[in-house]
Amino acid sequence: MGNSKHLGLYMLAPAFLFVIVFFLTPVLLTGVFGFTNMSTATGITGGSYMVSQSSMQALKDRHDLSEIAKKLSQVIYTIDEEGLNAAAQEGVDAGTLAELKAGFLGQSFQKRRAVERAIKSLDNRPSSTRAIKKLSALFERSVLNIRYDTEVDLFAAIDKFGLPLSVAEKTAMSDVTYTGWVFTTDNFKRMISLPDTMTTLINTLFYVFVTLIVFNTGFALVLAISTHYMDAASAGFFRSVWLLPRITPPVLYVLMWKWLAWDTGFLSTVLGPLGFEPRNWMLDTPANAWTFIILINGMVGASMGMLIFSSAIKAIPSSLFYASEVDGANRMQQVRHIILPQLRFPILFITSYQTLSLLTSFEYILLATEGGPGGATEVWALTTYLKALSNYAGALEYGYGAALALVLVVVGVFLSILYLKLFDFKTLTAPPKIE
Amino acid sequence: MIRYKNTFAMLATAVMLTFGTSGAMAAEYTISVWSGGSGPNDNYRIDAIKLAATLLEAEAEVLGEDLKITIEGKPYTQWDEFKQAVTLAAEAGTAPNIVVAGHEDIAAWSQSGLIVPIEDYVDLDSWPINDIYDNLMQISSFNGKVYGLPQDAESRPFFFWKDYMRTIGYSDADINALPAKVQAGDYTLQNVLTDAKKIQDAGLVKPGYGFYPRVSNGPDYWQFYTSFGGQIENSDGKLVFDKAAMTKFYQFFVDAVALGVTRKNHIGTPWDQWYGEVANGKAGLWHGGTWHYARYTKKEGQKDFFGNIQFTLIPAGDAGGKANTLTHPLVYLLTKQADDDAVAIAAELVKIASEPRINTLHAIKSAHLGITRSQSSVDLYSGDRWAREATKRLLPHATAMPNNVSFGQYWEIMWGGLEGSWTGQKSVSDAIADVETELKTTLGDKIVIR
Repeated sequence: MGNSKHLGLYMLAPAFLFVIVFFLTPVLLTGVFGFTNMSTATGITGGSYMVSQSSMQALKDRHDLSEIAKKLSQVIYTIDEEGLNAAAQEGVDAGTLAELKAGFLGQSFQKRRAVERAIKSLDNRPSSTRAIKKLSALFERSVLNIRYDTEVDLFAAIDKFGLPLSVAEKTAMSDVTYTGWVFTTDNFKRMISLPDTMTTLINTLFYVFVTLIVFNTGFALVLAISTHYMDAASAGFFRSVWLLPRITPPVLYVLMWKWLAWDTGFLSTVLGPLGFEPRNWMLDTPANAWTFIILINGMVGASMGMLIFSSAIKAIPSSLFYASEVDGANRMQQVRHIILPQLRFPILFITSYQTLSLLTSFEYILLATEGGPGGATEVWALTTYLKALSNYAGALEYGYGAALALVLVVVGVFLSILYLKLFDFKTLTAPPKIE
Repeated sequence: MIRYKNTFAMLATAVMLTFGTSGAMAAEYTISVWSGGSGPNDNYRIDAIKLAATLLEAEAEVLGEDLKITIEGKPYTQWDEFKQAVTLAAEAGTAPNIVVAGHEDIAAWSQSGLIVPIEDYVDLDSWPINDIYDNLMQISSFNGKVYGLPQDAESRPFFFWKDYMRTIGYSDADINALPAKVQAGDYTLQNVLTDAKKIQDAGLVKPGYGFYPRVSNGPDYWQFYTSFGGQIENSDGKLVFDKAAMTKFYQFFVDAVALGVTRKNHIGTPWDQWYGEVANGKAGLWHGGTWHYARYTKKEGQKDFFGNIQFTLIPAGDAGGKANTLTHPLVYLLTKQADDDAVAIAAELVKIASEPRINTLHAIKSAHLGITRSQSSVDLYSGDRWAREATKRLLPHATAMPNNVSFGQYWEIMWGGLEGSWTGQKSVSDAIADVETELKTTLGDKIVIR
């Protein structure tokens, strides 16, 4: 008995685990990433410190340390005792080293290519390119283009190079040479200052609420109610037909819409003889694009509401319908006074579920219009995806994308709370008063 | 002492035998190669590495080593999915050994440490590297280091359908003189609009087909910015946003739409439809790439390319601009790997794949241009009229996009502005103002706005 008390918890444990791994952790990571400048260039796993032409340009521009930048931009390879000893320890052939010492000790080279040419001029030269590369690396005395894991290593190397830095110079150096990401609130500043942010927001609200009201709830209700009054076989047939878009793979489903709309597609072919110029009906104007986007999503979205509402209507005791018919109620009155009041909970569920689902769904838009024409159908989730994970130039901005996604999380949570209040969730789930 | 010496000798022999045996065991490597933007004609981006592997194995055999290399290739047709795959795989520690990417990826990928410089593994003085064009080696470098070797070169010409030009009053001599006229700046983008309109008004092509540009984002659009005198990067290595040039560039496409010679909803037209149309005289003037030749003459069945189509540089925008073309070489890049030996093998393979004969297979099959000087003496290359003429007419005037860490962001923002004004979502001045705001907030002091 004592053990079975916790049985519920044990049974729920896998679900908890899934929620933590697949929901809470990603949300938490999105929250953290949103406050960074993570991108393709910074990588995700952390950076290193590297003196390079670009970082030295930044040292000049941002910190006015052009003298240091100039010195560190040099490439120097010196044949010295230190290098020769290191080479000897690495097991480089003694003959090679003796010849190198005799011919080049004390000489400096401004390019790796030059020192390697010197090595290749030896009678006892290493035979493989790799061995030459390994040997030449031992004589590198400059710090340009070398990656250091920590700033301590970098400063030690610069110190050894003969350029001790002051504390302020070290701070500047650390700022410009770090290749990884840093924490920042710039993503949100950028989001607010960009003119397109507002357009995307309006697009998103339009897309979510029009699809939701017209199709996912509205049309779903129409389907559920109309099939309720049909005989079982026809009702089953119609419901199955409306399920087809949902079970068709999205890529094929959208491709069929594209065939319908392309310049050389069905619409253009049919409308051609009627005097309409062939055109890409989907991308012709923003209004066309929106019509297609909402139809594409709505046809898929309506089926889910239809199923839920149909089963909810089936659960209404048939005695209620019989009684109302005895009282002379017509079908509209039955819908108004019996069906809709009983569907409050399913409608709440579908509305909130589909709002969240539409807020984050962008796959059909990506496949159909890619947000076009000219960004007219670009919704928040699509912008997030394009910025963070997929764009032609390959400039993936994980940090900015996460900040955009974070806004969706906040909006989603806010809307969920709003719906619960609006539909009076507590009353809906309260135990029946009679019992 | 002698006894010890003998024991030592026996031990040494035993060790040598052990090592000898293990030395005779095959060193096996599996090298993965992913290539971006690669269609059916671009198979040699990967197959060249396979040929190189065979040669490297033979070389190893000559040296008495047993080397086995397995190549696993994966071509991607789209750039966005390729770049996404490479970056995410690298973050997950499963990057392919070799990637065939655009040279503009070098900057960002080298900063994040995704790729390693090939010059740390190959001798730049050795053949065939010393035979590769210097400007292509420059394009494959960043921050003074050679990161990759060019895989191909190309350029992006402007095309004219000869018959339609004749119908609107050009003589054969005029058409033959077009390349020189464009190069001299005497035929500009304004003439393009006028001629496209004439062709359309004569009923030779459907409305919106007079000037039929590329249907999606691509390096091509930077050419029009250059045509109007725009500079992408200055000599200090800083990106440049030239408002006047960008405005004229956007305005040109808006004018084309207003004139009815280009469709407002042109962006997003399926590529297959586009290729079929331009290769068969459905469009008057258009622009594309040297590799289009392969597609037009093979899949699209254009039997008389030189008889039907004239090609030139992209005309200057106006008197202040210049005729130009853009070359967008792909480069073989080596990713950072835990196993440094595998990186060294990959570097050797890339080097061998760059040999003139092997590279020519790709150049001719895909109608790209060669990367080495001696390719002009490889029969397969020199026998190809397209390779010869395109190299001579276009390549000397080719510019390239910069290798700059922030360039990708600039590119995406530029495209957003063009798309917005082209489709009529924004006026040109609003689009330019939005681009400026976005560049300022996104790139800050990394871009010079003028």
